[in-house]
Amino acid sequence: MSSTKNSVSYDALVVGAGIAGGEAALNLAVNGFKVLLVEKDLSVGGNMIKLSKVFPTLDCSACITTPKVSEISRHPNITIFTGSEASNIRRVADNHFVANITRQPRYVRVEDCTACQLCEKACPVSVRDQYQFGLIGRKAAYIPFSIASPKAAAIDIENCTLCGACERACPTNCIDFTQEVEHLEMQFKTVILATGFEMFDANRIPRYGFGKYKNVLTSLQMEREIAPTRPFNTILRPSDGKVPDKIAYVLCVGSRDASVGNPICSQICCMYSIKQSQLLMGALPMADVTIYYINIRAFGKGFEDFYQQAKGMGVNFVKGKVGSISETENGNLMLRYEDINEGIVKEEEHDMVILSVGVLPNEGTTSLFSEEQLMLDPYRFVHQTDGLANPSHTSIDGVFVAGTATGPMDIPDAILSAGSASSEAISYLLK
Amino acid sequence: MDKRLGVYICHCGGNISDYVDVEKVREAIENDGCVLMSKTTQFACSDSNQKEMVLDIQEQNLSGIVVASCSPKLHLNTFRQVSERADLNKYNYVHANIREQASWAHSDDKKGATEKTILLVKAAIAKARLAESLTPNKIMAINAVAVIGGGVAGLKAAISLSDKNTQVVLIEREPFIGGRVGQWGEMFTTNQTGNELISSLYAQLVTRKNVQIYTNSEVVSYSGSIGDFSLKIETTPRYISQDCDAKELQKAMDVCPVVVPDPFTFGITNRKAIYGFAASQYPKQATIDDAACTHCGACEKVSKNIDLSLQKEMVELHVGSVLMATGFDPYTPENGEFGYAENESVITLPQFKKLIDNSESKLIYKGKEIKNIAYIYCVGSRQGDEGNSYCSRYCCTSTIHSAIIAKKKFKNIHNFHFNRGIRTYGKQEVLYAESLKLGDLYLQATDDSPAEVYSENGRTWVKVNDILTESKEMQVEVDLVVLVTGMVPRSDKKVSTLFKLPKGRDRFLNEIHMKLRPVETAIDGITIAGTCQSPKNVAESVNSSLSAATKAFSYISKGELETEPIVVEIDAVKCTWCNECSTACPFDAITQGLDGDRKIAVVNTTVCKGCGMCTPVCPTDAIDLVTFSSKEIMNMIDALTEQI
Repeated sequence: MSSTKNSVSYDALVVGAGIAGGEAALNLAVNGFKVLLVEKDLSVGGNMIKLSKVFPTLDCSACITTPKVSEISRHPNITIFTGSEASNIRRVADNHFVANITRQPRYVRVEDCTACQLCEKACPVSVRDQYQFGLIGRKAAYIPFSIASPKAAAIDIENCTLCGACERACPTNCIDFTQEVEHLEMQFKTVILATGFEMFDANRIPRYGFGKYKNVLTSLQMEREIAPTRPFNTILRPSDGKVPDKIAYVLCVGSRDASVGNPICSQICCMYSIKQSQLLMGALPMADVTIYYINIRAFGKGFEDFYQQAKGMGVNFVKGKVGSISETENGNLMLRYEDINEGIVKEEEHDMVILSVGVLPNEGTTSLFSEEQLMLDPYRFVHQTDGLANPSHTSIDGVFVAGTATGPMDIPDAILSAGSASSEAISYLLK
Repeated sequence: MDKRLGVYICHCGGNISDYVDVEKVREAIENDGCVLMSKTTQFACSDSNQKEMVLDIQEQNLSGIVVASCSPKLHLNTFRQVSERADLNKYNYVHANIREQASWAHSDDKKGATEKTILLVKAAIAKARLAESLTPNKIMAINAVAVIGGGVAGLKAAISLSDKNTQVVLIEREPFIGGRVGQWGEMFTTNQTGNELISSLYAQLVTRKNVQIYTNSEVVSYSGSIGDFSLKIETTPRYISQDCDAKELQKAMDVCPVVVPDPFTFGITNRKAIYGFAASQYPKQATIDDAACTHCGACEKVSKNIDLSLQKEMVELHVGSVLMATGFDPYTPENGEFGYAENESVITLPQFKKLIDNSESKLIYKGKEIKNIAYIYCVGSRQGDEGNSYCSRYCCTSTIHSAIIAKKKFKNIHNFHFNRGIRTYGKQEVLYAESLKLGDLYLQATDDSPAEVYSENGRTWVKVNDILTESKEMQVEVDLVVLVTGMVPRSDKKVSTLFKLPKGRDRFLNEIHMKLRPVETAIDGITIAGTCQSPKNVAESVNSSLSAATKAFSYISKGELETEPIVVEIDAVKCTWCNECSTACPFDAITQGLDGDRKIAVVNTTVCKGCGMCTPVCPTDAIDLVTFSSKEIMNMIDALTEQI
């Protein structure tokens, strides 16, 4: 591995190019500040770009995200590094940070790639597609997803056999196995953390059978099944490809649950489950959808009406926590739950179960800084040192936080939080 | 020379193509004389398709494009930018909305939706044929922002803009800044008090040279538009000069004969018509409540610093942008709603919070020591179609927080929460857990049979069919009933009406798009922040306020703004100055002018919004709207009706 030492400076380093990081970068850029936007993933757009429609307006998520992404990608004041990570960020003085930026090789020259997909066709290696949450496969030479930005191929070097088939198939000769990791050291005046969240790993609650029973899916997998760019072009259950007609949602999986170390509410799962249930009712008019809940938290603008609309459409809401799930012979699932209204334990059979998994902090945020450490809150989200008056302030002067890096929140709140962080960063830069 | 057009028909990932046969639409228009190329695309707005469009325009030397996709509200600017990147004047791009107007509207009729789409696209092509290159108008932007409302959202926006070297005018209707937050005691999550928070914000603001604070003041008229709004501000006098200190005020208060319920404590205490110097009331200057004062003159006699003859004053200011942070009103229950105004033991959540703050060692209300407290949730919220259907967001957490404070501050408090599903979202959940640990009891009513408050022999009871105990009827005798009242839009709508700001179904002010443009309004240059938009807690209000400040700053930071050249043009020969157009104009953009010695209508193009209200009322057909000229509209109608 070689090491190129560069020293370039920007006004701001924005870590994370999801919807919050993108919004913050854009706010800085339109006011004339130079931004480096660093994204670990191969595409910008974060979690939102992978969603189907968004509550409570049922806007198509791609329709909102793609033009934003395009504006971010094009802005002359924004430099985007995908497949890259920041580390060893240290505060040297007021208005002066130094960070190490590591750029992983994509093994594809993005500027030459036309996304023709011939490399995908040629590649003999199939692995599970992380962008479809493992529902289907992809090749080791692949375009991350259809609306990815940049839309260019990448080589998954972990799984690549170095057979060279993609190189031979590529009409523009953009595949380049000689690319190496780049190490850069860069200077910034301010830092915005928009490192987002991680979803709770449903494997951690074995009694719900995720990973063991094929027809138990996570809500993100269902999100892909109902997205416009969906993998199967319809909704079906994985065990036998049957279109489900009795679907259950289990809320608070990994949230409000001290036994898995996460006592807080994830703030978005009630609403995304209600949204998915409405989309399912539309796509499968004959299907029954039941949502098992503790409390429905429809608190935002237009949320309560959206919840009532789901009830009106015939979504069945059952107040009760699901204790366990078992599989029947035909791949159906038996839910054992306490029906709180009636005060008794009941069982109900469904042919597909969606676990509405919660939001956890992105553990990667903790290792961004060396020397002065970033303080975390008790749930390991970035600590807001002045939570009421200055929600984007962190324990390090000149470092601001945006979006779900501070805790669970929905898209409108994440965008407002990004507006807040960029406002503080602009004020800091003008000081 | 005829136009060389490129036409793009979007699938919208299924939003359109599930109901409209987009390929058939493409085939129907591909042979149109001026259509050089036509394509269907999965997402017209995606980065890769945008790149392709730029290449097409350049390689095929296109002189116009038509995009048939979603509403132009969403993507007009996206495709205008595509045109510009390809060196095509952006006004040569025409949009056809085939999603909202065809696929979504006719999802039950694929054939009909496809036919309608074909006509919509043909009409857009007909318009694009006549489209002309235009240059946006450039106007100077004044580096000043008016912030209306001096609550936490307004104060934070003012500080943030001042930090960005922008002149700020903070206009507060009340005599004191601080808004609702100034009225609160300890707040979740930091346990900071409202007084502490407002005092610190005021201290940061008051010393700044680029901030002017107008209290007791209202915007009474405005003209102009983004970049240069002219506002008239009317200030009601305080009648008391700054020299009046606390001691002198006390003397005046002692002689004042007028006693009114104090709005600052939500009416649980009274005050005189002359008052001031309370904690969290800034500026530290006394005032006279103009509405309550009888002008008896008693105070004037004991204080030389009082002058009841002072008159209202008016100033005119120019700003580049306006930021609305006018806040909310707490819901006032109807008489008899859960015993409100009929049963002495029933108060609202804001009153309860003030009661806790004002009480030492013992919690006493109306002479009675309070031990058992019932909280009835969702009063004025989640009322279904007949009332406020929305959730007020802050109240579950605020109630639980207050109940915990009461329990910790006073002895022998028992809390009974009659709720409809607790919504302590996010990290607020830990407060709910703490409350349960402290032994608070939660009883939950069904939506169709709410809790009931009744009294028997002077004792107050609350009863509910509790779904947490198999829907059994539970009754609790309590000393105090706290109605957890939600947020409603301000009853005083003068200023939002003045600016003609659109409201949503919930009657709060509405943003353009919840996710794409969450702080902008339909009126260019006016942003919204805090609870005038929807219920929010303090941190959420601050986030929205700083977002609005960033947006306001972006409008004016370059000192120059581009406005749409889509304005009306008046044919001086045809115009007879009948005044019809100027009456119809909602923006006062048309005034009387002269053509030689003939009176004619003249348009102020920086104020004209191109709404077109004036064009149909003109009896001599002297007005044409650029990009929507009569010729273009007729051409579109011909295309839409060619088969009839």
